[in-house]
Amino acid sequence: MEAAVSKTRVAIAGTGAVTAVGSGVEPLRQALRTNAGGLHARDCVVRKIGQSIIAGWVSETTLEQLRQKHPGHADSRAFLFAHAALKQSGQSMAGQLNSVPPTRRGLVLSTTKADIESLEKLVRRQPCSPATQRQIQPAFLAADLAAANQISGPVQCVSAACISGLLAIQQGATLIRRRLADLVFVVGVDLISEFVLAGFTSLKSLDPEGCRPFDKARVGLSLGEGAGVLALARRDLLSGPVVRITGWGSSNDANHLTGPSRDGAGLALAISRALTKAGKEPEAIDYINAHGTGTPYNDNMESLALQSSFGDRVPPFSSSKGLLGHTLGAAGILETIICLVAIDEQMLPGTPRLREPDAVTPKSLVHEPRPAAPSRCILKINCGFGGTNAALVLETESP
Amino acid sequence: MSDLAILAVSYLGPEGFGNDQTGLRAWPAPLDEAVQHGELEPLHWSLVSASDSSRFLRMDLMCRLGLMAAELLDAGFDEMPEVQRERVAVFVETFAGSLDTDVRFLQTPRPSLFAYTLPSTVMGEICIRYRLKGPGLCLVSPNDSDGGALVEAVDWLREGDVDACLCLGCEAVDREIAAMLPEHLRPQGWHAAALLVGKSSGARREHPFTPGSLAEICRKLCFKPKRAC
Repeated sequence: MEAAVSKTRVAIAGTGAVTAVGSGVEPLRQALRTNAGGLHARDCVVRKIGQSIIAGWVSETTLEQLRQKHPGHADSRAFLFAHAALKQSGQSMAGQLNSVPPTRRGLVLSTTKADIESLEKLVRRQPCSPATQRQIQPAFLAADLAAANQISGPVQCVSAACISGLLAIQQGATLIRRRLADLVFVVGVDLISEFVLAGFTSLKSLDPEGCRPFDKARVGLSLGEGAGVLALARRDLLSGPVVRITGWGSSNDANHLTGPSRDGAGLALAISRALTKAGKEPEAIDYINAHGTGTPYNDNMESLALQSSFGDRVPPFSSSKGLLGHTLGAAGILETIICLVAIDEQMLPGTPRLREPDAVTPKSLVHEPRPAAPSRCILKINCGFGGTNAALVLETESP
Repeated sequence: MSDLAILAVSYLGPEGFGNDQTGLRAWPAPLDEAVQHGELEPLHWSLVSASDSSRFLRMDLMCRLGLMAAELLDAGFDEMPEVQRERVAVFVETFAGSLDTDVRFLQTPRPSLFAYTLPSTVMGEICIRYRLKGPGLCLVSPNDSDGGALVEAVDWLREGDVDACLCLGCEAVDREIAAMLPEHLRPQGWHAAALLVGKSSGARREHPFTPGSLAEICRKLCFKPKRAC
């Protein structure tokens, strides 16, 4: 019970992704290089919607490939995406952590709606297997993913709107710092479902032309779906240069359930907390991957928060939502993977679909991807319903 | 663990409602039934608070119960200066989460309902009500009373990242909606258990810190009030 926190350093050991641009981190890398991504239209037969929706759908081709590769898990897209990304993350570690026993491996799941498609079937009295019915409950989905991947250490499930991913990374790092695990798979997964589409449509939050984060003419977000996995490990178990998780912070606007604060003070508070935890000054940040949904209020608020945190020296920043859509519970994890690709490629990712930036947007917004000096310190931020804000600090470290 | 203390406790469940000062009071006859039918009304809010019930009426069942538990805590948030309220974390743990509202939303999608289809919304409602701006966490657990939120609170307090943490465990699914769900998705019963944990100052209301499930700790401490009235 007692939470004995140590100063154990935590690093990223592996990654996996299933997104609108394909299965694996490589398609994501290609998409980041070209600044063109996976948003595309798909006809939806959604009650009271029944229209073509531009979103970051996982393609039928990717889905079919995954079903063939993991035939035992074809029933549930949520499980399949997460499981496939987990397997990729294991492979990406190239045997480095094979000696970590299952009991020292943990899993933290980040999701807003888990297997929501099964709940839709259940309520409509459509056929739905007992196995997938079980995964409606997020903690059971987490437990089933752990069982299928020989993980018998601690398992947690975070569900805190769109900051779930960053909180799950925080929790994964904390499990290692508490010495409860040596290797923790942080898994984010969410689906574009009738439920989610109906919700965001009812709030009039979707941009019918596809999201345009930080653009002057932006009118809303685009949803996305998929899974992302970050394998976190004790730094001393890894050789070579690594990226460490060094700081995290969250806050609440205490203002509104579905709208961000107007002044960005809550997000600035989360950023300040993460920097303090990491022991970093604002000047140390080389790049920021913003939340950047494309809704007028969010992007405006974020611009103000960045100005409040960094003054007139806002580091280069960009939004990846135009690439993958807003993947909700998976967003924090997939966008952290984008930060890792940026470090690896020595580049600053662009802001896909941006035409003309809003006047209030700091000038350091990156339009097109460009080469950059190796980033040493990156800030990832997300905000969500319920007035939640979160920030994460990543740092490169040589042995 | 001696430097940490339970600063305030409240509990609502079939047995009654109250805090560690007042003890548990039995529900007026129809109220337990009302909770099970997802029909908490202004009358129920008036049992725990003298404030206006208009916002309460906009909430779903989970948030209504969670906010009632937070109100019953009587933790003095309103008197705290802003800098202090920024150092109060709100951590939630739940098994059923927003399942009740999820099903209602699937049956009748309404924008006002969508905001409540997240287990963490109760965290937002509590922060809005008491202007708390500290860190937040919402854990979905594999059983009704996991105790995970309390473990996290201890960690954050030990690290010095917060001065106090409001931990809330909350379960509620309307009886008719529960009947539509397979047994493994239904919570065992309904409750809202809130507890404020922080550094001990030797105040009279404090309780020694004990680890364990939120619902069990809160029920126990509310059954044995420090000052019965």
